[in-house]
Amino acid sequence: MTVLEFNQVNKTFGSGHKKVDALKSTDFHAEQGEMIAVIGPSGSGKSTFLTIAGGLLSPSNGEVIINNENITALNEKERSKIRLKEIGFILQASNLVPFLTVDKQMKLLDKVKKNNMNKEEVEQLYKDLGIGDLRNKYPSDLSGGERQRVAIAKALYSNPSIVLADEPTASLDSDRAYEVMGLLKEETKNKKTTTIVVTHDTRLIDYCDKVYKMVDGVLEQQK
Amino acid sequence: MFLAWNEIQKNKLRFVLIIGVLMLVAYLVFFLSGLANGLASLNREAVDKWEASAVVLTEESDKSLVASSLTIDEAEAVEADETAVLGQINAIARNDDQKANVSIFGIREDEFIMPEVTEGKAFAGENEVIASDTLKEDGFALGDVVELSSTEEKLEIVGFTEDARFNAAPVLYGDLATFQRVKFGEAAEANGDQINGLVLRTDDVSAATDKDELEAIEVETFIENLPGYTAQSLTLNFMIYFLFVISSVIVAIFLYVLTVQKISMFGVMKAQGVPSGYLARSVIAQTFILALIGVAVGLALTLITGLFLPAAVPVAFDIPTMLIYGAVLVVVAIAGAVFSVLTIVKIDPLKAIGG
Repeated sequence: MTVLEFNQVNKTFGSGHKKVDALKSTDFHAEQGEMIAVIGPSGSGKSTFLTIAGGLLSPSNGEVIINNENITALNEKERSKIRLKEIGFILQASNLVPFLTVDKQMKLLDKVKKNNMNKEEVEQLYKDLGIGDLRNKYPSDLSGGERQRVAIAKALYSNPSIVLADEPTASLDSDRAYEVMGLLKEETKNKKTTTIVVTHDTRLIDYCDKVYKMVDGVLEQQK
Repeated sequence: MFLAWNEIQKNKLRFVLIIGVLMLVAYLVFFLSGLANGLASLNREAVDKWEASAVVLTEESDKSLVASSLTIDEAEAVEADETAVLGQINAIARNDDQKANVSIFGIREDEFIMPEVTEGKAFAGENEVIASDTLKEDGFALGDVVELSSTEEKLEIVGFTEDARFNAAPVLYGDLATFQRVKFGEAAEANGDQINGLVLRTDDVSAATDKDELEAIEVETFIENLPGYTAQSLTLNFMIYFLFVISSVIVAIFLYVLTVQKISMFGVMKAQGVPSGYLARSVIAQTFILALIGVAVGLALTLITGLFLPAAVPVAFDIPTMLIYGAVLVVVAIAGAVFSVLTIVKIDPLKAIGG
């Protein structure tokens, strides 16, 4: 089943001399249960790709379809609802709220959205990610790897159909990076989500079912 | 509330400091309101005690009781439900070792200005007076015979009454004859019908008198025209109003700085789909919590301070007024948060991705 689809999507910033084609006309689709990597040097347009996929940015042309819903025409408020319901974000630094404990990070999502994971599912998730002992700790008390594992838990907590990860291993050493990627892959298969990882780290592509390369706004499938 | 409260718990010191500043502002507001109230009652409590609706004075006196002079006959031509004649003169009263500024009221025992005696008895004969009980603190007692500055007459304090200060001076109530002897001395007989004004209880003040030389003044206007009263209350009230503005600005600045520090965090939350409205409500809730605690502590501190103040400080706390001021402080604090709310609404979730 196709969960994310790009039809002739492009994005242009600026106009006239300063016109930049951040993303050239792109067709792309991602199926349920797939782990996809988008690699490329910085400035190649992969962040633009991710932000459009996540409904944070509207494309200049073309349409983006998430779970059979065309989100291109929606306003920010409606797209914010789609993000909450369909998409889990894992960001470079860490997407944790500094003054909330691990448990309360999840509780915040309960406050703004219904139908998150139930208690047993959360316990299982904590166990899978090995963060059960960290539930009452604040982000400042966690190591980089632990923080990223909590961030994954937070992204998966709302039962999203798509997980978008922006350089999820940027602040980690190799061992921790492989560990985090392994966990992401496992959860993708277990939960039948679709995970798209944007990274410049080519060592991580072994974990992915499909690999795309982004060069100067053009997306090419490599694997 | 969830975000607001958890953040306060995690960053206690930061928020205690903000609460501290709000508390000090609230403390100052409450204290000034107590002072304003105390100074006001110093001037007006004897008038408030009349529960009157208007005072009739001569037109040429320009709303000054002391400068007004009319005859009892003129006064009795005024039509109102209830009336009370009033003669008034200021003097310095002296017993063996104390002096005090006093205001002498000449009244009729059977009219409504007659005060309730709380100690001793009512005046019955010549030169007997009921005194304001604040004179007790100044060293005067029942049975004291006081000399007056402007006359040979001596007055005997036969009773005390509460809440009886007029224009900051304690009042001595005597009958009209006593008042006239004090005011006119040997000419008292000839001026036996002279009084300063007539106090009215009536529904229709404007209908009270149709004579050109007399003027019926609403009691509130009468009080505002007491010497110094308006200047005093305006000054203190202005300070209070400015404090409202200042506290709003302080809160606005504090919250804005806090919000700016959290822009990237808010961006991440918005990227995850947390609605702007939820974040904005959280900031408002936080302001409400901070302001409420600050105001409550300020109020408690003010009342505690009041217990330790010497009687000479004219502070009188009026709880309903203070509660209103407290509520206003909370509201202006929340108004100060609006600035931060606008900032949050404008944050672009794209910032969270960083490119």
